[in-house]
Amino acid sequence: MWLQIVMYISLTFIIVASFIKVRRIAGQPLHLRWELYPVAHEKGREYGGSYLEQLDWWTKPRRRSFFGMVKYIMREALWFEKCYRNNRRLWCFTFPFHIGLFLLLGWSFLLFVGAMAMIFGMTESTAWVMAINYLTLATGVAGFALSTIGSIGLLIRRSIDQNLKLYSSPTDYFNLIFILAIVLSGVCSWYFFDPGFAYAREFMKSLITFAPTATNPAMMIGILLLALFLVYMPFTHMMHGLTKYFTYHRVCWDDDPSLGDGNIQDKVVKLLNQPVTWSAPHIQHGKKWKEVVQGADE
Amino acid sequence: MKRRIDTREIGCNPNEQLLTIGVESLTPLPDGKGIDNSPVVKLLTTEQRNHYECSLDGIVTLRLLKPTTKEEESKLVQSFLDGLRKLLSEKDNWTFLQPLLLSLDYCAKCQTCSGACPIYLASGRQEIYRPTYRSEVLRQIKEKYLDKKGKVLSKLTGNLIELNWTTIARLAELSYRCTLCRRCAQICPVGIDNGLITREIRKLFSQEMGIAPKELHESGTVKQLKVGASTGLTPKALKDIIQFMEEEIEEKTGKKIRIPLDREGADILLIHNSGEFISWPENPEAFAIIFEAAGLSWTLSSDLGGYEATNYGAWYDDVQLARITYKQVEVARKLGVKKIVIGECGHAHKALTVTADRLLTREFNIPRESCMPLLEDIVFNKRNRVHLRRNDFLVTLHDPCNMVRLMGIVEPQRRILREISSRFREMEPHGVDNYCCGGGSGFSIMNSMNFPDWKMRVAGRTKVIQILETFKEVLDRSIKKYVCTPCSNCKGQMRDLFDHYELQERYNIFYTGLAELIVNTMTNE
Repeated sequence: MWLQIVMYISLTFIIVASFIKVRRIAGQPLHLRWELYPVAHEKGREYGGSYLEQLDWWTKPRRRSFFGMVKYIMREALWFEKCYRNNRRLWCFTFPFHIGLFLLLGWSFLLFVGAMAMIFGMTESTAWVMAINYLTLATGVAGFALSTIGSIGLLIRRSIDQNLKLYSSPTDYFNLIFILAIVLSGVCSWYFFDPGFAYAREFMKSLITFAPTATNPAMMIGILLLALFLVYMPFTHMMHGLTKYFTYHRVCWDDDPSLGDGNIQDKVVKLLNQPVTWSAPHIQHGKKWKEVVQGADE
Repeated sequence: MKRRIDTREIGCNPNEQLLTIGVESLTPLPDGKGIDNSPVVKLLTTEQRNHYECSLDGIVTLRLLKPTTKEEESKLVQSFLDGLRKLLSEKDNWTFLQPLLLSLDYCAKCQTCSGACPIYLASGRQEIYRPTYRSEVLRQIKEKYLDKKGKVLSKLTGNLIELNWTTIARLAELSYRCTLCRRCAQICPVGIDNGLITREIRKLFSQEMGIAPKELHESGTVKQLKVGASTGLTPKALKDIIQFMEEEIEEKTGKKIRIPLDREGADILLIHNSGEFISWPENPEAFAIIFEAAGLSWTLSSDLGGYEATNYGAWYDDVQLARITYKQVEVARKLGVKKIVIGECGHAHKALTVTADRLLTREFNIPRESCMPLLEDIVFNKRNRVHLRRNDFLVTLHDPCNMVRLMGIVEPQRRILREISSRFREMEPHGVDNYCCGGGSGFSIMNSMNFPDWKMRVAGRTKVIQILETFKEVLDRSIKKYVCTPCSNCKGQMRDLFDHYELQERYNIFYTGLAELIVNTMTNE
């Protein structure tokens, strides 16, 4: 039962840590506009244009394309298009690595569905349960295979490519080795002990029902490593999957004009009432931003 | 073999130059002519080398004096750390904290961005010019000295950087080896912005330590706030130039135009980069001809802040940026205009329209727009007044980064050029993927010591290659060619590049603004 407790703790930890991280970033003050084109939600301007191309733009309705934005995000999330176009050699490994991890997330979800079916007394004699189990098998095998290939490839590239090596810290190698160790233990568990992922599904069931269950040694090591990784991850740049939302939606694509009223203006008014704290001679240290920018001749 | 310079080396061997760029490293020019065989940058004199900090790459933009005592050095290090602390604090750096922290904390170090940087590529992939190099230096200083990871953890994470005067001085200089074109950010899979980090480093030096290039600060923003323009143009001198412009318009076109100045209640306040009045008066003249022909209600201003669109604060200092913005808008308020239109100046477009948007409150938030849609409207919807005739001149378009990649104003200028010329051709890449002219972020006006050499040979090299490639089958001198450059700073850089690479003499290529090309196609009907 201790393995389940470890998993509960680490899952709780990463959920809480992610929540805190998101809240902290979201709570940072409104910054000056710093958009970068193309902005994906600009309707009909896929070439990278903006609403600022219109005469008297502030009198015109904004034309935003939700579909355009989703399309852009999907191309990036599922094909890693920027990397594909601009760094093909890296893409050959980062693509399988990330897709492998996404598949393993999907695999976990399918295990959850299979475990729920077991809890409700359904067996493989039910067609959809059998389908789910086969899908679980396919997703799991593909996920483990791709993430193994990807992490080994990335590790080798980081070790031999001078462009990457020079900027790689021991932590960067450690992170990749950590992930590789987790997926390899999963591979071992599947290959030597658990070809249909029955153990894994049982473990998922035990997590839902708070009941003990049998595991195999490889799976136990894998679960322990995963639990440790989930606690470690929030302290690393590997949270970029989450923070990417902010770099795009809150910086690169944040093109909302303030137009002298509304919510943005209220925030700006508040920020301009803060003191300027910088110390260079041309700055009037201690005065409010508003006083400094509206009054001084320096 | 090229030596790869590690980030930890930035603080080592203070008496040695970290990088010497050999001419053989530079990207070859497509015409293969021998003009580039001289040393990339002129060697500074012994006196200059002893006096100024030049240990980064032998180039001086900041004229930093070396500290003479240990105490002086400690004080500078402390001041730098104070600045860095402020840069990372909500209270002190609300203006850019969120984008900065996102870029500092989540870079995957995949180096995809390097292939997008025209300076890194043109220099022969010199390590210190890599977009991630200076960011990594700042990141490591932050982790080691502010996050207090301690020596053991720092070693474990591969962070061996030492913070001393040499690190600070080299980092300061290095922040002026990037044009802030943000091509690197555009292709980053995670959205990391090394251009922004560079600007924040510049800001730290300026706002905390009072260190900035003289051309941007003392002779730039400070002068603009005192005199009215960074060029030193005074209201009286402006009035003289306007009179001269009216005479020249009459002489060239036969049209008697009275250029409106300080006309209260006009619809439009047109603000040009004051450099146009001094170096290229044909540009504001062209605007006057077009606006008058179109029957617009408009005015120029001779008030302090009203005749200078530039805002060098955009490149190095938020406080100066905000001060200038307010001055400009105050003039528009006094005149009671309906909107401000910004002339052909890319960074002024960005600073006054976009960046200022979250600095100007309520009554100060007067509508501001680019001149491009207005010119487009005139060309397409008021042609019965301006009488345009399509010509067959050969022209390509340079996309100013600030106006295009950073604002999304891409098509209006193209539609105009396609309309007035039957032989418009694009550069590759173009639009939001364009290459910087190499004069961005203040470089076009920075001329300290041997910096102009670097600006021509390295920063502007990719643009020259692009121009030559665009016209490769028509390079013959008998064919006149234009590079439409709708930005004053880009134009300043083009002027120097054209001179350095002899593009006009050898290939009959000219640079020009957009308004001038429009006027050239106007008939006298």
